[in-house]
Amino acid sequence: MSFEWPWQYNFPPFFTLQPNVDTRQKQLAAWCSLVLSYCRHRKLYTLDVMEAQESPVFNNKKIARKLSMEAIQVVFEELRKKGNLEWMDKNKTRCLVMWRRPEEWGKLIYQWVSKNGMVNSVFTLYELSNGDDTENEEFHGLEEWMLLRSLQALQTEGKAEIITMDDGKGVKFF
Amino acid sequence: MGNVFGRKGRPSRVTEQDRAILQLKQQRDKLRQYQKRITLQLEKERLLAKQLLKDGKKERALLLLKKKRYQDGLLDKTENQIANLERMVQDIEFAQIEIKVIEGLKVGNDCLKRMHEVMSIEDVERILEETQDAIEYQRQIDELLAGALTEEDEEAVLAELEAIALGEDVTLPEVPSEPLPAETEGELERNKAKQKPEREMLAA
Repeated sequence: MSFEWPWQYNFPPFFTLQPNVDTRQKQLAAWCSLVLSYCRHRKLYTLDVMEAQESPVFNNKKIARKLSMEAIQVVFEELRKKGNLEWMDKNKTRCLVMWRRPEEWGKLIYQWVSKNGMVNSVFTLYELSNGDDTENEEFHGLEEWMLLRSLQALQTEGKAEIITMDDGKGVKFF
Repeated sequence: MGNVFGRKGRPSRVTEQDRAILQLKQQRDKLRQYQKRITLQLEKERLLAKQLLKDGKKERALLLLKKKRYQDGLLDKTENQIANLERMVQDIEFAQIEIKVIEGLKVGNDCLKRMHEVMSIEDVERILEETQDAIEYQRQIDELLAGALTEEDEEAVLAELEAIALGEDVTLPEVPSEPLPAETEGELERNKAKQKPEREMLAA
């Protein structure tokens, strides 16, 4: 399944930040949704700003256009405001992308657990994200930080409890 | 178990057994990762042996294959160990279920006992006797009342019975000629609304 680029992607002005406030707002919204759907398609959970610049999202070789570093920062900042992105360091070189909120991931995981009659069972985090049983689930391959946050979201709902042991974490669903 | 959805300041619902299971599962995960590593290594070595054979280094290829054979054995052993761990997890989980079953039976047993305390055999006998007495009493009253009808009344009753049997005197209303009105939507909804509360009562 190949990624479907939006029409703007082949529209050169899209790669230059627009001065007009209204246009710029629309442009940023389009960029945000493009970044999120791309990450979702490629199952990316962390982005490196330097690398991102070279990735096809911000660099359309076909029309020889590339989003500048400053513009990328603006887009990322916009995503952060919307709650889809978090910086991992002060220098803003790496970030976490959440194209699905932790609560939604939690819901998906919980659905799987209850569908398989495994409520009241204990799981290791590795088992959830890399186990054979979850091979066909959307959360297979979920990065640990994201998994942990989704489980925390479930914990606040009282549907799970995270267990910490000397080597690694586990979770029990209720 | 009672307050699965309870939201009060909950103490940890993770039991010692849960921790034990988690530990076993973690061990299993580690073995799985080890397995993955060995499998990848085996594949790499097989390719390498092939390459060595092509280059005419038969001795080294043989040595490599020996090593590979040993690792194959390791892989089998890990598989067994994983199975062991998983069996252990299942045993613990099943034991937990058994405990739940026993607990359930105990509660049921206590409940039955308490109910039996309320209902002693003597009580039951007494109540049954009293009921029997009451029925007898009622029968006597019935007899008295039935006997109170005069002969005349009896005759009238019989005559009426006969009349009904013959179909006389029975005037039926005329059948309406206009078509039946279709059930209006308002009525349908009212009917549904009538049914709903019943269902809710059942659920409660």
